[in-house]
Amino acid sequence: MLSFIFRRLGLLVPTFFGITLLTFGLIRMIPGDPVEVMVGERSLDPQMHAEAMHRLGLDKPLYAQYLDYIGNLAHGNLGESLVTKTSVWTEFKTLFPATLELALAAMLFAAVFGLLAGVVAAIKRGSIFDHGVMGISLTGFSMPIFWWGLILIMFFSVKLGWTPVSGRLDLAFDIAPRTGFMLVDTWLAEAADPSANAGAFKDAVMHLILPAIVLGTIPLAVIARMTRSSMLEVLREDYVRTARAKGLSPARVIFIHTLRNALIPVLTVIGLQVGTLMGGAVLTETIFSWPGIGKWLIDAIGRRDYPVVQNGILIVATLVIVTNFIVDILYGVANPRIRHAK
Amino acid sequence: MSLLEIKNLSVEFGSEKNPFRAVEGLDLTVNQGEIVGIVGESGSGKSVTMMAMMGLLEGQGRIVADTLQFDGKNLLTISARERRKIVGKDIAMIFQDPMTSLNPSYTVGYQIMEVLKLHQGLRGAALKQRALELMEMVEIPAAATRLAAYPHQLSGGMSQRVVIAMAIACNPKLLIADEPTTALDVTIQAQIMDLLVNLQKSQNMALIMITHDLAVVAEVAHRVAVMYAGQVAELAEVPGIFRHPSHPYTEALLSSIPEHSKGAHRLSTLPGIVPGQYDRPTGCLLSPRCPYVKDDCKTRRPGLTAVEGGVVRCHYPISAREA
Amino acid sequence: MTNAKTTTAASAVEDQALTYPSPFKEFWQGFAHNKGAVAGLLFMTIVTLCAILAPLVAPHNPIEQFREHLLQPPVWLDGGSASFLLGTDELGRDILSRLIYGARLSLFIGLCSVVMALLPGVILGLLAAFFPKSLGSVIMRLMDIMMALPSLLLAVAIMAILGPGLLNAMIAIATVSLPAYVRLTRASAMTELNRDYVTASRVAGAGLWRQMFITVLPNCMAPLIVHATMSFSSAILEIAALGFLGLGVQPPTPEWGTMLASARDYIERAWWVVSLPGLTILLSVLAINLMGDGLRDALDPKLKRAA
Repeated sequence: MLSFIFRRLGLLVPTFFGITLLTFGLIRMIPGDPVEVMVGERSLDPQMHAEAMHRLGLDKPLYAQYLDYIGNLAHGNLGESLVTKTSVWTEFKTLFPATLELALAAMLFAAVFGLLAGVVAAIKRGSIFDHGVMGISLTGFSMPIFWWGLILIMFFSVKLGWTPVSGRLDLAFDIAPRTGFMLVDTWLAEAADPSANAGAFKDAVMHLILPAIVLGTIPLAVIARMTRSSMLEVLREDYVRTARAKGLSPARVIFIHTLRNALIPVLTVIGLQVGTLMGGAVLTETIFSWPGIGKWLIDAIGRRDYPVVQNGILIVATLVIVTNFIVDILYGVANPRIRHAK
Repeated sequence: MSLLEIKNLSVEFGSEKNPFRAVEGLDLTVNQGEIVGIVGESGSGKSVTMMAMMGLLEGQGRIVADTLQFDGKNLLTISARERRKIVGKDIAMIFQDPMTSLNPSYTVGYQIMEVLKLHQGLRGAALKQRALELMEMVEIPAAATRLAAYPHQLSGGMSQRVVIAMAIACNPKLLIADEPTTALDVTIQAQIMDLLVNLQKSQNMALIMITHDLAVVAEVAHRVAVMYAGQVAELAEVPGIFRHPSHPYTEALLSSIPEHSKGAHRLSTLPGIVPGQYDRPTGCLLSPRCPYVKDDCKTRRPGLTAVEGGVVRCHYPISAREA
Repeated sequence: MTNAKTTTAASAVEDQALTYPSPFKEFWQGFAHNKGAVAGLLFMTIVTLCAILAPLVAPHNPIEQFREHLLQPPVWLDGGSASFLLGTDELGRDILSRLIYGARLSLFIGLCSVVMALLPGVILGLLAAFFPKSLGSVIMRLMDIMMALPSLLLAVAIMAILGPGLLNAMIAIATVSLPAYVRLTRASAMTELNRDYVTASRVAGAGLWRQMFITVLPNCMAPLIVHATMSFSSAILEIAALGFLGLGVQPPTPEWGTMLASARDYIERAWWVVSLPGLTILLSVLAINLMGDGLRDALDPKLKRAA
């Protein structure tokens, strides 16, 4: 098991350096003057331009510039935003909980309903329920989610007035960000001062529902289809026949002998999706004005705030590969054949 | 009374309009403590018959029979819950491929103890003790440590021993072995066969041995049923059936065993293949391949007729002709 | 005696051959068995015809602004008129005509980006499978890096470098979908490489290129075709998403996603401006995915047997 972890860890390191090369190159691939790109200042006189080049190390050869970049990263220096002048890392830290909260809520929604629908559809294969689940999940899978978000807002927020249109919390509430997770913060605030913050938690929940559904739609469809096909595949296995030949109850055959093996690929998919969602749900966050990583990066691209683009992408990519690494390890834990491989 | 009695069993797959009959009008009885061999090519309906009897077809096949009785219980009308009390306990089955017959996610011990817990209500130390005992009965060395092993850590022969241990866990009255040695190395095959026959004797079980290899059952079975295209072609006692086969198909099977064709330079073969869903002959199912085929064989389906020591499905049984 | 045996055998073999359907017929039977797939094919045929014949089919010029008909509802609502069947947008342009012309763009970009990803993807995947130690591991690390970024974010980043536009959108989408082709080709080629027929062709002296493209590749085609179909539909989604974010095809060119970019402002007043472009995207993508499912049923022998 340990050697398994180390082997995977060994793959992680070159991938990380590959990503630094990518983000390093990204800025240099943008057409235009590098000083303009890096500093965001336009039409400097030649002397100041040369000074800026020197200050930024842009007069050095490329490999030296890359080494400088890596050196800065090693010191935890991720640069600062051209627009807000705060460090990229600080901005990331403030915004990340919003993205994580949304991603977890979406995955919870998708996993619970996806697994349930997939398992029942597989057991009742060929039934109306099965066809219904397959039809709905294919529709979900084909959904342009930015449009789906608009439609849900149009119906639930505008027409019925059930949920708020955007943001994480009504402006009337003044909640101190303690953990960054709005559900937790409002809960704590309400517990501390029930009169001033009455209803804050409920308001936070209402703000979260629609974005979570929109973001969870495609994962839901993927999980339902995947669970169903994986279940059907395992149900054909010889060992399931063996389990039935033992006289085990259908429930035991399904839950102990089938589901356990069918879940392994499904859990991997769920894990990989979490990684992707943590990288920011660009579209969902844009539609609902959700102050998270995806919206942050899109806005930065729009404002040509290149330090944020460069190192924001680096952070997101690192996050994804680390999550995938963890999923890989858990996959090994769940699957004895891999766990024992030498 | 016989332990297992099957009369006129048919199993159909596919749609109602376009059915495929995997088993057709099958009769078979098995007595306590008896070894019956069922021999036939792949797709002849051997396994399907046994799966139908155990209720393992899961609604995929339509089962029709006049009688389907085990140990005095009617398996046709019995509820699924009642059937599960018999299956795995009084009737147990061993499958062809031991490497895929065990669940990869659980240890060998867990899978053996699962049966014991369910059917015999064993718990704790007694459970573990019995599992160990079973592992020793199937001659697995270092049984105690092997209990904690996962299936992928065992060889094919070792896995098949585990499957056998699981099957005999509750002292079944009937053990069905579905080609138990086909997937194993030749050197292991004999060991597993010996083990099965010894267990059959010591436990006084009835044993149904499904195989496509006549030589396997020649030495151990009391009676042999030869199946062809879903029907019993011939059912007779051993060793009579080997000395004087009545059905041309049995004869052809016998002459394809190397030991039986001494002196010949080439083993004889039967041309053609088993008829499928779309090309079933109207007459005798063997008629397109039969070396002795006569005109009425192609139009008339033969029924089972009694010959010395058994029954045969042929208009012109070889033994009758020679007499 | 011997003669008689041989003739019966021969006739039996002939009879067999007669009953086997031709590969295409077998494929079509498998495909047609899936009713959703046939419906999807039908829908996409109509969409494709509309796209090709757009100037003939569309009632109006897609960028012409009818100033006196701003935000006019569809024909079946009060205030609708037969000359604007699906209503008009905030600038008075005919929505139906814009949707028809939009189909041209979506299908064209989708098709181009599939081809642009498929060809290099297959070649890189085969190379990675044939040289798993050296070249393969470099290629796969590279793909890992590309996979480490959420695909839309990567597409957006590429668009940010290249700038908005039609060709750039194709490049961005093709780049984003490249790793999946490489991985899929590599995985199925690796499975095939273990088969005896590949060893046989190697023993028979087949050269590297022959082994790659003649021996192995045809046997990897089934999953690739299915994946290409699916990635065609996700390409349509991605173009629309880029358009929605304002990074794709620029207005006033009629593009389904771009049409939605400004629609947010009309949620309360003109539902048709919001609903119709998205519905068109959804139905097209759904139709293609249904076809993909049908293709999978018809091409994948393992699933074929189970059905």
